[in-house]
Amino acid sequence: MALMPAADRERVKAKRLEELAELKAGGRKIVGYFCLYAPVELIAAAGGVPVRLVRSSARAESAGEKFLRPDACSFCKSCLGGFGLDPLSQLADAVVGVTTCDMMRRLPEAIEACRDIPTFQLYLPRTSEPAPHRLAEFRRQLGKLGEWLAGLTGRPPDEESLGQSVIAQNRLRAAVRRGDELRAEVPPAATGSDVLDAVALAGMLDPETAARVIEQSLSQAGPVRRPGARPRLLLGGSIITEDDRWLVEMVEEKADIVADIVCTGARWAAEQVTVDASLLDALARFYFGRLPCMCRRPNNRLYEHARRLVADRQVAGLVYKTLLYCDAWSFESRRLHEELGIPVLATDSDYSGQNREQVRTRIEAFLETLQRK
Amino acid sequence: MTVTGSGPRREAAAWPDPAPARIGFDEWAELFETIPDEVIGRYHYFPPSRDQWSLYLFPPQTFAIYGCRHLRRLKFDNSLAALRMWGFVQNETERLFRARQTGRRVIACMGDLGALPVIVNSFPGCVAFYPDCIWWTPFVMESRVLFDAAQAQGIPEATCFSRAALGAFARHAYFPDPELVIAATGASCDDYSGVEQLAARHAREVLWVESPLRHSCGKVEPATIGLLVSEYRRVVERLERLTGHRLAADELQRGVARANRVRRAVGGLRRLAYGRGVLPALEMMVVEFGNLHYYSDLDEWTNVIEHLLATARARAAAGQRVVAGDGLRIVWVTPPADPLLLCYLEDRGGRVVGTEYVINQALEEMDEQQPGLEAIAGSFMAASLIGTSRQRAESVLSQAREQNAEGVLISGILGGSHCAMEARLIADRVKAGLDLPVLEFDVAQPAAEIDRQTRTRIDAFLELVRSRR
Repeated sequence: MALMPAADRERVKAKRLEELAELKAGGRKIVGYFCLYAPVELIAAAGGVPVRLVRSSARAESAGEKFLRPDACSFCKSCLGGFGLDPLSQLADAVVGVTTCDMMRRLPEAIEACRDIPTFQLYLPRTSEPAPHRLAEFRRQLGKLGEWLAGLTGRPPDEESLGQSVIAQNRLRAAVRRGDELRAEVPPAATGSDVLDAVALAGMLDPETAARVIEQSLSQAGPVRRPGARPRLLLGGSIITEDDRWLVEMVEEKADIVADIVCTGARWAAEQVTVDASLLDALARFYFGRLPCMCRRPNNRLYEHARRLVADRQVAGLVYKTLLYCDAWSFESRRLHEELGIPVLATDSDYSGQNREQVRTRIEAFLETLQRK
Repeated sequence: MTVTGSGPRREAAAWPDPAPARIGFDEWAELFETIPDEVIGRYHYFPPSRDQWSLYLFPPQTFAIYGCRHLRRLKFDNSLAALRMWGFVQNETERLFRARQTGRRVIACMGDLGALPVIVNSFPGCVAFYPDCIWWTPFVMESRVLFDAAQAQGIPEATCFSRAALGAFARHAYFPDPELVIAATGASCDDYSGVEQLAARHAREVLWVESPLRHSCGKVEPATIGLLVSEYRRVVERLERLTGHRLAADELQRGVARANRVRRAVGGLRRLAYGRGVLPALEMMVVEFGNLHYYSDLDEWTNVIEHLLATARARAAAGQRVVAGDGLRIVWVTPPADPLLLCYLEDRGGRVVGTEYVINQALEEMDEQQPGLEAIAGSFMAASLIGTSRQRAESVLSQAREQNAEGVLISGILGGSHCAMEARLIADRVKAGLDLPVLEFDVAQPAAEIDRQTRTRIDAFLELVRSRR
């Protein structure tokens, strides 16, 4: 059972939608972003209201195919289609994209061309080794983003507001990390869904409210003893949006997701911004050095992290969900299998939902296999 | 067959080119019989080698026997220069293994398509090559072996044909295991970046190089050049450690000048071929891609290209052409993995008058007045894929305007990240900018023939273009 009931979550989200509409009506700029590399602190410090657009639906994906080929990433198509359908996306005055994988790199251009929404393309080097010149370039790009945001909102990000924003986001990340720790317990005191819910709220609500809501719900957590042996699983793969949580729920009917490496999960909260120099330098170091997305090169550090999770949290198997045409994650499925040394269930789907029952059968078979071991 | 061994180069024997034409495999086999042995013995790779093993002037038949079955279906230019080019290109695998045998260092460059080999080739005894170019091999060999090998490494079916490179790494048979892999990634396609990551498991050592983003405004900032120069400096340092040779500034300048010599010649060939129809589209694709790594032998490739340029100039001066002057003028966007498509277009009355083969960075001349690394970085910033689709569309539009093109053809790959995201945006801009018909299609899997659907679509497209005259 979720720490925060679905009905409460929906109420919180509906309220936030109203707040955002009011903020927008009052002249505040709603700045959409997709990726965990987007520096929300900077957006907030410039007076923007950052909102993570991780929504998807079959309808939005179909709508996106008006502009992109069917073999484009389902998430990109869904985002593009969502600007005409999804109430949250429709509130966005501007979008900050980050150059992670190629398809996400190209999405802002498509948004500008097809939706006429101003975008900023934040260049994050794909190479993950922190060579000084790469960090310096990323720091420079953050400066340019700050200028662009100032042009959008009329308020340049200053050190004081940036500092406050860093503190707020750090507190929020700490709250989500607490949830991640709880689900790692034996038996788990929270679920994989709880962590995904927390990250989803963190991307939508203002950070203070989000931290309070998450801390409150976690305060009720305690070991949940369920009958029978439940396999402890790691969740990996492409972005898991709020709307494709069906897979997680299916898995959690019979198993515990005690760790994840998805960008809408615990990786979002895995580190803190350490302020020991200028705030922009600290932000550059933080975002450049985050646990790498699978698309960064080399991505070995993500493998090390996954191996650690498997060992520390007694993980018995990996549920690996990729989106159709998501090269960054789908290419790595076999390598993960080999390097983690645990059974892997790899599924590949779009947002149509057409293969849900097939996936259910495969999940059940996978879990049965694990239980027999 | 008797051939000349080592000794002074003899120019006495000659083989006058027949009247320009596109000829088939069998015709080349017959024509080859008329070429004097002395002429055949004139051409060696790795000059100044005059050893028998470095001969390469062979007809397509030879390479078909080695497994390049598709050569039997292509139409080739009938000049000696073109034959020389084909022999040289087809011989590349042998040349790479020979490089290793003769003590050269074999360095794989990946992903940036044009810049890194300029640095590598500036080091004495280093040979650069792009495993990327293996993407044609499954088509030329009409074989799925490399795709199957890539699949065994975890790459799914619906991705770019460049996955063949991973298959080649895994099979350790298509090129010698490189002493170093320099893998460029960044503002690049996902498919190949993924190939690089998995290929790293088969490589002795990988040096990752960042390819920066070119922002939508198109202006290149000095800081971006600075970033690239820092990346290239790391490459130089790593190669210095590997070779024990400290690269002097003038060595790098000479390397830039040598690469520019080829780029200039290719620029001349593009003008003559696309402007005056003196060379077929098939040979021109091979020529343009030669700018990437000179088919692993810069010195001899320079000779090959200059031979082709002399042939093209002679044809232009004599008012000769090899593709019909009234052919339907088409700009081709993204290189077709199946070379037969280029032949088919010409067979059906089309004529390629411009290309955007995702290698702009290799076509752009480097500024020899600048220090070497800055010059290389400056030309790299013209790269096709590091910017926006709009910038790429502008390049297509500019060529279409210049050559008075009548249509644009975009060949893509199912699941290729940039194809999926930008093909429609480019098509829309071309339609809006010049009101030209655009055909967008995906190249099918390797096969002996072009599939019927693709043929029908190309036919219909050409009919439409013709009907607008």
